Order: sequence, then structure tokens, then C-alpha cells
Amino acid sequence: MSGFEETGDEAVGGAHQLADRLATTQEQLRATSDILKVLTASTTGGAASRDEVFDAVVDSARRLLGAQVAQIYLVQDDSFVLARSSGLTPEFVDFVSQHPIVRDRATLVGRVTIDRRVHQIEDVLADPDYRRTDFQRVGGYRTMMGAPMVVGDQVVGALNVWRTQVAPFDEAAEELLSTFAEQAALALRHVELFSALESRSAELARKVDQLEALAEVGEAISSTLVADEVLATIVSHAVELSDTDGGSLMEFDEATGLFRVRTAYGTSEYVIDALRAAEIHIDRTWVGRAARGRRVLQIPDLDAAPGPLDPHLAVLHGSGWRSLVAIPLVRPDRVVGALVVRRKSTGSFSDETCELLAAFASQSAVALTNARLYQQLEQQSVALAEASQHKSEFLASMSHELRTPLNAVIGFSEVLLERMFGDLNERQEDYLQDIHSAGRHLLALLGDILDLSKIEAGRMELDLTTFPIDDILVQALSLVRERAALHGIRLTLEASNELGLVTADELRLKQVLLNLLSNAVKFTPDGGSIVVRAWRDGEEVGVTVTDTGIGIAPADQERIFDSFQQGERTASSSEGTGLGLTLSRRIVELHGGRLWLTSTPGEGSTFGISVPQPDADREAGGDVWTVDGDDVDGPTVVVIEDDPRSAELVELHLRAAGLRPVAASTGEQGLDLVRAQDPVAVVLDIHLPGMDGWEVLTELKNDPATADVPVVVVSVEPERGRGFALGATEYLVKPVSGEHLLAAVTRLLPPPRADEQSPRLRVVVVDDDPLALKLVRSTLEPLGWEVHTCAGGQQAADLVRAVAPSVVVIDLLMPHVDGFAVIDELRPHRDSDGPPIVVLTAKSLTPQDRSRLEGRIAFVAEKAGIDLPGLARRLATVAAEHVREGEGP
Amino acid sequence: MSELPVVLIVEDNPRNLKLARDVLEYAGFCVLVATTGEDAVEQARTSLPDVILMDLQLPGIDGFAALELIRDHEPTAHIPIVALTAFAMHRDRERALVSGFAGYLEKPISVREFPAQVRRHLPRREAPEP
Repeated sequence: MSGFEETGDEAVGGAHQLADRLATTQEQLRATSDILKVLTASTTGGAASRDEVFDAVVDSARRLLGAQVAQIYLVQDDSFVLARSSGLTPEFVDFVSQHPIVRDRATLVGRVTIDRRVHQIEDVLADPDYRRTDFQRVGGYRTMMGAPMVVGDQVVGALNVWRTQVAPFDEAAEELLSTFAEQAALALRHVELFSALESRSAELARKVDQLEALAEVGEAISSTLVADEVLATIVSHAVELSDTDGGSLMEFDEATGLFRVRTAYGTSEYVIDALRAAEIHIDRTWVGRAARGRRVLQIPDLDAAPGPLDPHLAVLHGSGWRSLVAIPLVRPDRVVGALVVRRKSTGSFSDETCELLAAFASQSAVALTNARLYQQLEQQSVALAEASQHKSEFLASMSHELRTPLNAVIGFSEVLLERMFGDLNERQEDYLQDIHSAGRHLLALLGDILDLSKIEAGRMELDLTTFPIDDILVQALSLVRERAALHGIRLTLEASNELGLVTADELRLKQVLLNLLSNAVKFTPDGGSIVVRAWRDGEEVGVTVTDTGIGIAPADQERIFDSFQQGERTASSSEGTGLGLTLSRRIVELHGGRLWLTSTPGEGSTFGISVPQPDADREAGGDVWTVDGDDVDGPTVVVIEDDPRSAELVELHLRAAGLRPVAASTGEQGLDLVRAQDPVAVVLDIHLPGMDGWEVLTELKNDPATADVPVVVVSVEPERGRGFALGATEYLVKPVSGEHLLAAVTRLLPPPRADEQSPRLRVVVVDDDPLALKLVRSTLEPLGWEVHTCAGGQQAADLVRAVAPSVVVIDLLMPHVDGFAVIDELRPHRDSDGPPIVVLTAKSLTPQDRSRLEGRIAFVAEKAGIDLPGLARRLATVAAEHVREGEGP
Repeated sequence: MSELPVVLIVEDNPRNLKLARDVLEYAGFCVLVATTGEDAVEQARTSLPDVILMDLQLPGIDGFAALELIRDHEPTAHIPIVALTAFAMHRDRERALVSGFAGYLEKPISVREFPAQVRRHLPRREAPEP
């Protein structure tokens, strides 16, 4: 209570004092908060923001402490540097910079930082320990006070204030100075942290770059076996990341001891050539030394390199390179090459750079090794292919050479057996039979060997046609029936009614069935039975041959499919070649089917085959007509397909339709062709190397120049929706029949030039050969013709009168009523009315034939080597003339 | 004066030549022989056979070249030429037929069927001569 009972004056004086102190405190708070504001605002970090804070500190300290000067000194090694100041003359600043302050007790800041506490010298002139009178003379100060700046547990500097007269600072001032010193230290800490953070993140970013580059290189290595691409990637990344100007990757050849530049980056062709020409020997060059020593070597300045330069360095020096690093490529303990990066300027390379390059080097070593292995593999496969080629050629010529004498063996024995030149006694006939059947056996063996070698060399081509499978079943059965009957073996065929047509190589399939049947007859004891069952199940046709023979032990069931293995057979007949089953299985597999066996020894065996028939409802298979048509000049269709056989097939069908196919085996090439040729349509495969079909389609549709070209996608993948979504006009799933493809393409074509009102061109084709009829039909129908066919001469004239075609195509050689007779009836005289007649024949016309036909037919086309598109064009011309003359329908 | 059909056999292997000759003579052909392509062209021009059996692999010009020469010469152009060969490849038949051979017989021949196979290529006798 007594405190409040002070006198009025005292009270008034106290109030003043309080007000002063309040104001001072407020000002101090403001200063502090100003400093803090600067501190927190300085988000940029760095020395600039540090100096801002220091400035705020020295200004506030000088003002609030009533000092003439405030300064911040920072500790550097064993002395101080003046960082910032307030109230100092330029002369003093200059003087301080020229006269370093040692960190000892001779100065105030020395004492402050050594003792880590605030010090005050009330009068420097009266302090015998104060030694820097030189400063005092320049600055003229008397009372000074300093506070340490501490960051963590380190004294980093001192904040120092002085007055030019002797006027000691009070306790409050001491406290305030400490606060300011703390704030300055904080700023310093902040800046340090900030720049540490900054360099840390810069380092991180660099590391990320490096990792990315390494990952890219790794990816390149694993994704491509084209070594030079990988190596070029490595060198370019190594150069870019090491911040150098160029580099090269050398391959080491153990045999010669030489390095050869494999790829280079940032290096002129001329220098690369010179490097390649230089003899870079492992024992005589600097690079070689790096490789031998398994360590990274660097030359900071080529000019300063001691002694004469080796050939490698001489080339580099001569073309202006000044500093370089060599990193050996070693894997796992063999030198495989070296990576060299270089600069045009001098200077050493940091450890970090070397480390980075070492990482690249290890990747390069992997790539080089891979490349080498790949190259070897390639060479080996070329050698293998050659060997296989030689083998096939050898077999083909051997087969020919063996057939020639066999012809004599078989032929002369037959001559004698035919008794052309006299009778034989029983023994003579017996021996001759032996000679003859041995010759036949050799011949069969020869055929099988040749077939097998063709399959193994991948050269057996299936001649696919569509035919009723019943036919070959019946034929194969008839060929063994006699022999079966001889042994009292019952032979039965159980076939379902819906077998229908199959698409396969007819001769080969018959060969397989015959092989299975003759095996069955061979291994079935007299009086046994053989049942042949044939069935069709959805997309598969199968045939099984079941015998009541001796059966095959489980251990032998797989072995008998190997060449010359016949299981535990009785030593009786040995007429087989030992290759039949091997060959049969391979043939069935070529058809995409399988051949299997189930057997119980003592009871019998069942051999079965199944052949897939994906287009069960298709009525006709791929024709194997060869068509000459390279000179077709119809509308262009670009075919983008990487499989040459598929491409050929598509081209064949397109040509037959009078179109001009242009083939591309890659998407990129295809795009170029589409842009260059402006085709009426594109046939596009999806599986392509590099750019796939989807990308090609997208690109075509995105380019206004090509967006309107219709695209027929032909793919094994049933992604119709995706195809249409991307803009395909048609989507066909492989395998595609010729008809389907043609139909799809022709739908896309602009309508034929003929007037819409004018009737379609109509043709009657008369030929007894169904294949010829089919061929003409499949050629003309896609072109918009209405095709009527007639298999013989009898009904031809009637049909022509009924249909009133624009042109008639007639074969000359037909049974019963031949082509001449039909022509006689249709066109008795040269000037008789009626449609023009074109003769399509396999017959070589004699002069008599020609004179007989002269004037009554438009032209003759020969079936041999027929040019179907050409025929179609000529037919169209003839028909159009007829229609124009108003004689037609 | 002979009404026998005349066949020219072109074959360089003496045994096979003998076989074909003996079989065709036995079957009632008049047989001429040639052992090289050049010889065949010469014989064709001088003797104008009814049919020619031609091995494809011959010393000197081969069967294809000989065929061309016979075809290019007007008096012999019409003579049917049948290839007789031990070429074993599937494509050979096609190649021969495309080249203009009238037929293709594979060795070894079947003695029993051989004469009929050759006779099939004889021009029809009953065709009216101009």
C-alpha cells in the first residue's frame, strides 16, 4: 500500500519515468518486430536477405542504444570481417578491411567471442589491455559494448556498439544488445539453413537427372539390341550430365589389343574418322593405362601433359580438345572398352562427375557385351541358315541324282516283269519282284527325306484348297483295301454326314491318311479289323484310325514319332520308310492341327488327326492361281503389313480385282506411302514393328490430308470396337478369305464410272472346268459384273438367250458340245447379231482354228499364264462397246 | 511311209535313254534319240517327230532353252513337247507347264503306263489335214 502514498512530485516524476520506459520498450519491441519481419519476409534466402536483417539490426541497435556506431563482425578462421555497420565513416570501413582484427583479447569483439558473453569497455583509452589504438584513432570512440552471436554452439560473430564520449551503457542496453545479437545470429542461421536446403535440393535435382539418365540408358539397353543406338544414348547422356562438350565410346579388341571408337557425341565426323584411324593400343596409350589400371584417369590440361602425346591424345589435341576423363569399361574382369568425355576448355573434373561417369561406364560395359553376344548370335544364325540352305540344296540334288539310276532299276525290272522280251521262270520273277520293290522302297524313302528336310527348313508350303474330305478318305481307303483283303482285315468307314468341305493341302492330307492306314494294315494280324471314323466338331475336322493290332507300349508311344523308330515291331514286313509318322505329324502340325496316339499293347492302337477349320461356313478356300499383274494401273491401295506372306496374299487378291497394291512393311513407311500416293484405300495390319497399326490409324485420321482415305483393318485381334472408334471403315479378323477382303475393299471404292442408270455389265462364262468358272467369277464380281456360268456347251446357247449378256466367255475344249459348236450356234455368220464372244482356252489354236473363228469372236485369251486384271479390262471394253451400240440389254 | 508315231527322246543318261527307247519301241513307236539340247533342236528340225520327250537337265542348253528354240522355228512350233524329269520339287511341274511343255512325266517312269502317257500327246490322226 505505501507505494501508492508517495508525494505528488514523486508520483509525477515516477509517471514520467514510466511513460519513458514504456515508450522505450515500445520502440524496442517495434525494432525487434521489424527485424523479425525482415527475417520472416526473407524467403529468398542467400546473402542478400542476411544483409537486410543485419542492416535492420545495426540500425535499430545504434538508435535504441544511443550509440554513434553499431557494427556486426563475423568470425572467419582466426580473425574477423566487418559484415554490416551503421554510422561508420567510409574511411573506417576501408581501414578495417585493410587491417584485420585477430581474434584475441586485444579487442572488444575478440573478448566477446572468446568469453561468449557481453563485454563493455567504459573507456578504451583507459583500458590497458585494449591494444587497437589504431582503430580508436580512426574511429574516435571511447565507450564500447559488444554481444556475441551464437548459432548452435558456435560463436559466429559479434554485434558491437560504440559512443564517441565516455558514457557507459546501462543494464537494459546490455540486454537489448544481446537480443539484437541473437536476432542477427538467427538471421545467419536462417540463411545458412536456407542455402543448405537450396543446395540440397539442387543436388537432389541433379541426382534425379542422373538417375533418370541412367534409367533411360538402362531402358535403351534392355529394349533394343541395336547396340549402336544404346551406345550413342549412353555417350550423349554422359556428355550432357557431366557438362562436357563431347565424348566417345571405344570398344576393345582383345585379339589386337586395340581400342576402336564405336560411337561419339559432340565430335565432328572428321575427328571421329581420325580417331578411328589412330592406333589406340592398350599398352601404349593413356586410355589403355586407365583400362589396364581399372581406374578413372583425367587430364585437366592437354597442353600441360608431359612428354609426347599418344596417337589418341594427339588427335584430340589437334582438334582443339583440352581436358578429358577416361573411364574403363570392364566386365566382369575383362576390359571391353573405354568411355571418354572431354571439354574444349582446361580444368579438372570433380569426383562427383567421375563417379557419375563410372555409373555410365558400367551400363556401357553391359551394352557392349550384349551387343557383342548379339553379333555373335547373328553370325551364328546366318551360318546356320546357310548350313540349312546347303543341306536342302544337297538333299534336292541328291534326290535328283538318286532318282536317275532308280529310274533304270525300277524301269528295267518292270520291263522284264511285263515280259516284254520273253517269259520268266518263277525264281526269276521272284528276284525281279525283289529288285523292283527294293527300288520302290528307296524311292519312297527319298521322297520322305526330301519332304522332311523341306519341313525342317521351313520350306514346305501347303497348297491349300477347299475340297470334300470324304473324297480323300475314300481314295486313301481304296489304296489299302486290296492289301487289307489279302490279310482278311475288315476295313470300315464311319463318317458323319456333316463332314462337308475342308480347307487343307489335299495331297498332303491324303498322304497322312494313307500313312496311318497302311501302318494299321501292316500291324494288324490277319483277320483283324480297322475302323476309320471321321467327324466334324465346330471348328475342327478329325479322323481316327483304330486297329486291332499288336498295340504300342507306353514307353514307345512318343518315340515312334521320331525318325526311323518303329516301336517293338515284328521283324516281318519292312516296307515303311521309318519316316512316315514323323512326316505325318509334321504335316498335320503345319496345318495347325495335331496327330495323337492312344494304344493298349495286345489290343490295338488308335491314331487320330484333327485339323482346325476356322471358316467352317466359307464355301471356297484360297485360290492358288498365280496372277501376273505387276503392271496393273488401277486405283492404288496401300497395304501395310509386316508379314511378307500375308502381304503377298492381300496384294494378289487386290491385283485380281484390278487394283494396284503398294506394300509397306512398317507403319512409318505406310504413312509415307499414303501421303505420297493418295490411295483409294488402305489395308492395315495391327501388329507392326515399331509404330503399331493403332497408331498408324490414329495418325491417318488426324491428318486432314489422309483423314478421308478409308482404312480396312486386318488383324488377328478381334478389337472391332476399337478399330471403328479410331476411324476404321472396315474391320476384318484374320484369317481373312480373299472374297471377304475384296468385298470389303470394293465397298470402299468410289462407284464405278459407268452411269448408275445403265445396267450392270453382264457376262456368261461357259467352261467345263469349275476352277476356271470360279476364277472368272471371283475376278469379275468384285468389279461389279453380273456373272452367269454354265458348265457345258449344251445349255450355253439357251442361257445366253435368256440372260442377254454384254459379253460371252467360252472355253473351246469341252466334252460333248465343244466351244466351236456353241459359237456356231450363237454366231452362225460373221454379221449375226448377239453379244461379243471371247474365247478363253488352254488349247493352242491352230491356223485352222483361227480361220474358223475369224470375224466371229472378239479376242482369244489363253489360260496359261493368264493376266486376270488384263482380261477383266479387255472384257469391259468389249462389253461397253456392245452396250453402246445399243445391241445389248 | 511308216504309219508308226514318231517320238524324239531327249535324254543324256544312257540307261534311262535305253529304257525309254526300248519301252516305246516295244509299244509301237518309232523312236529317235538325242542326248543334248542342241542335238534335240537339230533332230526336231530334220525329222519333225510327232512328239518330243525332253529331259529338263541336259548338258549344254537345257530342256527349257531347247523348247524355246523348237517353238521359235515355225515348222517345229506345233510339236508337243513333254517334260520327262527327275526334278523332285513340287514347283517344277508348275514351272514346266508355264514354260509351255505340253505335259510333265516324272521319273521313275511306270513302264506299264508310259506308252499310253506318251500317246496321249500325239496329235489326233483323224484331224483333217489342210
